[in-house]
Amino acid sequence: METAPLEIQKHEAELQESVDHSSSVMAIEIGPSHPAMHGIVRFTTYVDGELIVDMIPEIGYLHRGFEKESENSKWIQVTPYTDRLNYVSPLLNNIGYAMAVEKLYGVEAPRRAEFTRVIMGEISRITDHMTCLGASAMEVGAFTFFLWFIKAREYLWELVEEVTGARLTTNWTRFGGNATDLPDGFLDALQDRLDKVKDVMDECDRLLTKNKIFIDRVKDIGAISKEDALSFGFTGPMLRACGIPYDIRRSDPYSVYEELDFEIPIGSTGDCFDRYLVRMEEIRQSISIIEQAADKMPVGPIQTLERRVHYPDKKDVYGNIEGLIDHFKMVMEGHRPPAGEAYLPVEGGNGEVGFFVVSDGSGDPVRVRLRPPCFNFVEAMPKMTIGHYIADIVPIFGSINMIGGELDR
Amino acid sequence: MQILLEILSIPLVQSLLKIVVVILLFAMPLGTLMTLMERKWSAMIQDRVGPNRANAGNFTGNGLLHIAADGLKSIFKEDTMPEGSDRFLFLIAPFFGLIAGVATFAIIPFAAPIGDFKFQIADVEPGLLFIFAITSLSVYGAVLAGASSNSKYALLGGTRASAQMLSYEVFMGLALMGVFMVYGSTRVSDIVDGQNQYWFGSLIPQWGVFTQPLGFLLFTTALIAETKRAPFDAPEGESEIVAGYFLEYSGMRWSAFMLAEYVAVVGVASLITTLFFGGYHVPWLHLWTSAPEWLVRILQVLKFSLFVIFFCWFQIQLRWTVPKFRFDQTMALGWKKLLPLSLINTVATAVIILIFV
Amino acid sequence: MDLKVKQVERVDGLKESFYLPAMFTGFRLTVKHFLKNLFGAQEVVTIQYPEEKRHVSPRWRGRHRLTRRDDGFLKCVACYMCETVCPAKCIHIEAGEHPDMSVEKYPVKFDIDELRCVFCGLCVEACPKQAIRMDTGVIGMAFSNRETFNFTRDLLRDEYQPHENTKYLDSDLPKPKEQQEALPNSKGLPAA
Repeated sequence: METAPLEIQKHEAELQESVDHSSSVMAIEIGPSHPAMHGIVRFTTYVDGELIVDMIPEIGYLHRGFEKESENSKWIQVTPYTDRLNYVSPLLNNIGYAMAVEKLYGVEAPRRAEFTRVIMGEISRITDHMTCLGASAMEVGAFTFFLWFIKAREYLWELVEEVTGARLTTNWTRFGGNATDLPDGFLDALQDRLDKVKDVMDECDRLLTKNKIFIDRVKDIGAISKEDALSFGFTGPMLRACGIPYDIRRSDPYSVYEELDFEIPIGSTGDCFDRYLVRMEEIRQSISIIEQAADKMPVGPIQTLERRVHYPDKKDVYGNIEGLIDHFKMVMEGHRPPAGEAYLPVEGGNGEVGFFVVSDGSGDPVRVRLRPPCFNFVEAMPKMTIGHYIADIVPIFGSINMIGGELDR
Repeated sequence: MQILLEILSIPLVQSLLKIVVVILLFAMPLGTLMTLMERKWSAMIQDRVGPNRANAGNFTGNGLLHIAADGLKSIFKEDTMPEGSDRFLFLIAPFFGLIAGVATFAIIPFAAPIGDFKFQIADVEPGLLFIFAITSLSVYGAVLAGASSNSKYALLGGTRASAQMLSYEVFMGLALMGVFMVYGSTRVSDIVDGQNQYWFGSLIPQWGVFTQPLGFLLFTTALIAETKRAPFDAPEGESEIVAGYFLEYSGMRWSAFMLAEYVAVVGVASLITTLFFGGYHVPWLHLWTSAPEWLVRILQVLKFSLFVIFFCWFQIQLRWTVPKFRFDQTMALGWKKLLPLSLINTVATAVIILIFV
Repeated sequence: MDLKVKQVERVDGLKESFYLPAMFTGFRLTVKHFLKNLFGAQEVVTIQYPEEKRHVSPRWRGRHRLTRRDDGFLKCVACYMCETVCPAKCIHIEAGEHPDMSVEKYPVKFDIDELRCVFCGLCVEACPKQAIRMDTGVIGMAFSNRETFNFTRDLLRDEYQPHENTKYLDSDLPKPKEQQEALPNSKGLPAA
């Protein structure tokens, strides 16, 4: 028989004393490679029968050194890296990073750029929520729900591809604007796709939301109180499910969200069912935001006129020597934001995605720090799971939507 | 020729032949077909295409060759065994389920008898009690596999499976009490013949589903739980305990578990058809008095097969429609809801029979 | 702007306390999909990949290619900008002096390690000559043997043509007149 590592044996023995059952505590490793662990994360779970008595989360299996790598890159070279942080909503990370650097520069993107950012960002939020809901529903057995959502997500990713040139590795934002404008006829295609997504949403809603089996699986599972959620530093849908209407788009408005009208869905008990409902409602709100933004879409440039922030126009680069020299200096030396530091949070799919950037005035960042929302959620996993059954790890972990790329950076 | 006929008239030879025919022409082909159909039908539900790539030359048969490909693959895969496992139990465990699944077909009649010759392997007196005995055998497959694998996930799966299957056997028996009472026998051929009567002249056949609607629901639920298929697949629990009791199996032994599951699907469909949908009896066929006997037999087999395929489809459709129960919820549903309901059903049936019949 | 809050509705009615009604609703939905796809695959969204290819956006960042001037020679002037801006450091250029004074500097070697490339498109943006493009629309990067996975690709010997969807086909990218002769080899001088 294999023997468990010493630390686990020791912990098991300690737990054994604290559990006043005649049964014995068993350590069971869930992850790093396990069907329910979407990213790669390990939970050393101690069970008494099927009841969880303790859990130790261990993260870091997808650590790629984003922050250190950023220090060795130029400012613009970090943007492709941000795609891979939360890889189900890459555009939100793009936007967050670009806005943080813009804050450092003290410039703002033109209005058209901001509106397109809102549209693309909300598309990303929808895809993020769809992946999360679909995956967590799949793991409680509703596989059809998952694949219908993936089908709907595909409609949206094709739109993302039309605009950015890639489905996932978008690399779309630049400092002071976006790399590309919306293509011709995009807004019509967008409306068409949104209608399709709404249809799929309705079908999925009917399939699962009122199903007693599903409600049984998620109701009162993994509930966390407002106070605990706040002390763990929850943000995003997880916090809103507890009943706190904290949304950075409203509490600390960035971009043009002040001009758009939407509701913040909140839950009451903070259990998995509330999280599911909050996310479902947020998808609907996001669709409405996109429609409003598409209506209000202004005409104009997509890059700020500040020349120090972005490459010169291609016309100048090809046409005259000043433009070419400008371009050459900017590419070879990199963007050079003024010395200083800036922190800018945006409302990501999971919660507050904050980029903290420090510049010393050179072409390389001194520090790029990401505040990953799901770090706090994984930290709270023991709090949420202890006292539940092993099978409850699945909906709880599904509802926190841990994304390895973002968590481990 | 004469000798051949004489040999064929020996009961033992007849039984052996029937076994071979039923297993090789009905149970196994349908079971293996279900392994593919599960994937194809679920694909249709989910707006996909499903497997269609296995080919021989240019022939793919729209995925039909995947059955052969799967079989070949599992034969040639390494038959691994985890360190520290109980070798003997580990090796025999996969076949309990398969044997139990196949044995179900022993009492299923496929058509009306011609003289002494019955289209049924064994028309035994205990009939359905035989089914209960056999299904309890399949518990051992899951339990032994779980216990002998030396894996914590498998152990959890095994315990879940044993608890679930043992408890659902109780309701399965209780749910059938009504049927026994209505048709007054446990012998399958009696029950099937009992369903060939009609209410209101020749309007509505007295099928089990009409005489025992609640019994039908309860029995179907219990049977699906007994075969550990969704929504009662907590013992497999592919998302939390990975694959449950057969986690450590590979190759042909793993295939035996899969095959057992799908043979059980066909078995469940056959039982439902036999007990609640008139078995082989084609409704209103007695009105056509001049029908030749051979045609009647063919129609009966066809009707039976159609209903079996329909209920196979139903089980697969159910699996891809609903989420699955948590293990303790399965047990709660059984003991707290199905048990009282089946008791009520039994008592109500008894009272009605006592008063009206 | 005041905060608009919406309390989500936890379905908790009498109907939801039974298993069968919701199962029946779900069943109706899945059977609808099943029947629609059984008779004619009306809602199937799968693309049968090798036989059937997805429509790729004109902006799709596929494999790289080098563009050519009117006379068929490479537009690239070996300025190293793409090599500098590349976040994956996958471009390797060696510059050479061309005997023709109108060309002056040109890449003797222009290699891309496609396994390192992250397809971010920064090189295309950085290029001052429109010399490197990612508009080939090539999605598949899968090969069936190990040798072809040697992905360091010599862009100078490029077999990739612009994708049919590309927007920049006609005006800026004339085809070389005699492509074979104008092709320089990766070792040294142009063949012409």
